[in-house]
Amino acid sequence: MSRTTSTSIEGAAMKTLAYFLLFLVLAFCVILLAVVLGDRGAWYFAWLIGTPLIVLVSAAGAAWLDTHEASASAHGKVHKTH
Amino acid sequence: MINGTVVDLSRVQFAATALYHFLFVPLTLGLSFLLAAMETVYVTTGRPIYREMTQFWSKLFMINFALGVATGLTMEFEFGTNWSFYSGFVGDIFGAPLAIEGLMAFFLESTFVGLMIFGWERLSKGQHLAVTWLVALGSNLSALWILVANSFMQDPRGAVFNPTTMRMQLASFGALVFSPDAQSKFVHTSIAGYVTAAVFVAGVSAFYMRRHRHMDLAKRSFRMAALFGVMATIGVITLGDALGFVAARVQPTKLAAMEAVWKTEKAPMPFNLIAFPDQARRVNHGAVRIPDLLSLLVTHTFTGTVPGIDALERQAARRIRNGIPAVEALQTLAGDPHDAVARAQFEAHKADVGYGFLVQRYAPDLQQVTPQEIKRAARDTIPAVAAVFWAFRSMVAFGLLMLAYFVMAMLYTLRNSVQDRPWFLTLGVWMIPIPFLANECGWLVAELGRQPWTVFGVLPTWMSVSDHSVGYMVFSLCGFLLLYTTFIIIEMYLMTRAIRIGPEAPGSGGQSGHARAAQEAHLGG
Amino acid sequence: MDLFGDLQVTWWLLLGVLLVGLGVMVGMDMGVGTLLRYVGRSDVERRVALNVIGPHWEGNQVWFILGGGAIFAAFPLIYATAFSGFYVVMMLLLWTMIVRPLGFEYRSKIADVKWRNVWDWSLFVSGAVPMIIFGAAVGNLFCGVPYTFAWDMASVYTGSFLGLLNPFAISTGLLSLALSVMMGGLMLMHRTEGALRERARRAAAGGSLAAIILFAGDGIWVRALDGYRLVRSPQPGTLETPLEQIVTRAAGAWRGNFSLHPVLWVVPIVAFLALFGAYLAARTRRGQLGWWCGALAWAGVIGTAGAGLFPFLLPSSQDPSVSLTVWNASSSRLTLEWMLGFAVVFVPIILWYTSWAFWVMRGQVKPEHVAHDEHVY
Repeated sequence: MSRTTSTSIEGAAMKTLAYFLLFLVLAFCVILLAVVLGDRGAWYFAWLIGTPLIVLVSAAGAAWLDTHEASASAHGKVHKTH
Repeated sequence: MINGTVVDLSRVQFAATALYHFLFVPLTLGLSFLLAAMETVYVTTGRPIYREMTQFWSKLFMINFALGVATGLTMEFEFGTNWSFYSGFVGDIFGAPLAIEGLMAFFLESTFVGLMIFGWERLSKGQHLAVTWLVALGSNLSALWILVANSFMQDPRGAVFNPTTMRMQLASFGALVFSPDAQSKFVHTSIAGYVTAAVFVAGVSAFYMRRHRHMDLAKRSFRMAALFGVMATIGVITLGDALGFVAARVQPTKLAAMEAVWKTEKAPMPFNLIAFPDQARRVNHGAVRIPDLLSLLVTHTFTGTVPGIDALERQAARRIRNGIPAVEALQTLAGDPHDAVARAQFEAHKADVGYGFLVQRYAPDLQQVTPQEIKRAARDTIPAVAAVFWAFRSMVAFGLLMLAYFVMAMLYTLRNSVQDRPWFLTLGVWMIPIPFLANECGWLVAELGRQPWTVFGVLPTWMSVSDHSVGYMVFSLCGFLLLYTTFIIIEMYLMTRAIRIGPEAPGSGGQSGHARAAQEAHLGG
Repeated sequence: MDLFGDLQVTWWLLLGVLLVGLGVMVGMDMGVGTLLRYVGRSDVERRVALNVIGPHWEGNQVWFILGGGAIFAAFPLIYATAFSGFYVVMMLLLWTMIVRPLGFEYRSKIADVKWRNVWDWSLFVSGAVPMIIFGAAVGNLFCGVPYTFAWDMASVYTGSFLGLLNPFAISTGLLSLALSVMMGGLMLMHRTEGALRERARRAAAGGSLAAIILFAGDGIWVRALDGYRLVRSPQPGTLETPLEQIVTRAAGAWRGNFSLHPVLWVVPIVAFLALFGAYLAARTRRGQLGWWCGALAWAGVIGTAGAGLFPFLLPSSQDPSVSLTVWNASSSRLTLEWMLGFAVVFVPIILWYTSWAFWVMRGQVKPEHVAHDEHVY
């Protein structure tokens, strides 16, 4: 194994470690926020959870429409508006 | 002494500029998250239609955003220019959330909105998506801090009055930020913004589907808006109830005006579905009442009561009489801060010092206050009942109408058949003004219902104004009227024009794009 | 002096930082607005100029909004007294500033000569007028403002609108306009090319030269003004009202701090050197270097004003003894602490993402971009 590859592997490992630590810190921040909000600000907490939920449901709805149309056109039933 | 006309004109100016500002804010709050939703689909599926959607709706977003920012400048400075006593009196508490709004939220929103519009070619997909989410987060955090400040006016928590400095002073930052009114009002308002954006996007998409234009974009936008809207409307109604629950505890006069309850009755109390309140005679004309419902709605029980205006006025009169010695003690302390007798007198009566201020409007010299003046001030503690009652009913009716509309929209779009129902598409276009009206009504309920106070129970509105001449007020009102009217005309024109032109962006090909490029070339010489 | 006094001084310094941010960032955008019709002779040139600051003006404008918010939170009596006292001027400031977002956002939406001309002129007005008002407001602090307080600490303004337009205030207004033209010119010079760049260069050189002359002139003029001196007051760092002190007026008193602490002369000297550096950089076509010199010059000019005025924030010409100072106009200790906490966390974050945004949008704006990119102004 040459020096350069070993340093690049080390570099990759360091990068993974850095990401791991970053996300670990983020996870702790989220837990802290959730604990504080859950205790003192139930409605704030509901907003924080509810908003991503609303966004994701509406995004999933769009993706569902895509799938629906893709399967319809695959079966040769091109929708009349096309 | 402060001139009553100046007080009224200052109120008119603040209400007009705030209501105007609030035409644009909710759409920003909601559309930013809808843009984030669209772009999330684009980044996860990679389908270019979602990029086109995000870019098209962000064009409309910016036309609205510009006016929201512009009119927000007025709000930031109007407390100082027109409500200077208020600003000095509560700046210690009220200023902090406004400054934090700038630091934490508005900087975020404004810096990234530039990148959101200009950064499409310069940022990676993931970076741009993060930018869009940050814009949405920033604009809603803005609303959070503004409403924390507003909630202090409704339910002053976390502050004490300092008789040495004659100002309110922060006692607990946590109590301010986590006040129940701030919490439910922020979520109610933010989600009302989501509803506004959903109706707007669904309506414009319906307009295209009705004309068989941009079908791919319109169907997808409609589907996303309908799902977004149905969940948001449910949320907004839930939080509206929570907010009523809070008001019942901390602002009984607002609640009594919202429900036009002139007399306290035995539980369970009936609900006035329709009524024509008569403030002079203190009765409702032509009331249509539903038995038991008021107790159930407000207290969530059949045994709770809502204090009527008669009882609230008696209580106010008591508090006025108790507050008068507190104000007198303050006047003594202003001359000699070390007067121990006056200090003790203030401490004994300080809970009602605001009520003492209230009667000073009619009796500048409190030594000579008459029972008539106390009665008059006590009557002042009741806001304009008919206005609050009808603003509240309109808001609720609009909310229920939008719920019905979104449930139907969801059914049709999930069956993928909304495009085949021209009547429903037409309805969708006509629904566009509804959430804007509902938002304005909500502001009226909250702020008219707060009167006669700027800080509920502590600082009367009449004391809060700046000491301007009527001439100054007429000057500034005319200026705002002229500018704001011009602006709304221009904005509506540009918005409808951008909607008519549609998503065929200039430079990306298509007939209108070429036409515009040619026009640009013509100008370029 | 205890912690409360330190917090008050810290917030006074932070207010200075915000004002420098306002001058540098908003001043730059307003300078571009002021220069728009001079540097841009064709529509394409004007659009290039607008798009140099296009992605950033919204974020920059927040320095102005945050400045207002920070005064409200940290020095509520200043916010209340100054903004209501300056009513007519504040309305002019507001109205010209309200037009600006629309000028940026709406101008290029319609390809019509008349439409765009109207917005160009409104961008000129909303660039030049607010800068003059900012400068004139600071100038008026040196002259004193006619106000007093009622028993309940309601501020009562006793002067007229015209009193704010005195010659010294006009000269400081022109100084701030010159600085903003310099910054706008340097930014355009850095990020554009061709004839536009040359005109921007001339404007930047002219602006910095005018700023040198005005700054020196105002420095001499201020010796002739009646300054304010705090004769007796409660111990700094105790909670006090503006009714507990004695203030006198004396010619040349604004130089008191400089005589007491000669090291303060560094601040105006830095301002002069930075202005001169900006002028040379403009002459030698080094836009970026010039921009940083310009930013330093803003810091020097505002720092000089602050060093002269301290501890006064808003002297009263009506009743000098109720003059508002750092000690008697601030918020309570708890508010200052919380605000400082937020500022310590968020100001570095703001600086970080603002510079990231500039880095993302780096490079020259070319006429081709403006013609082909559908997202631009």
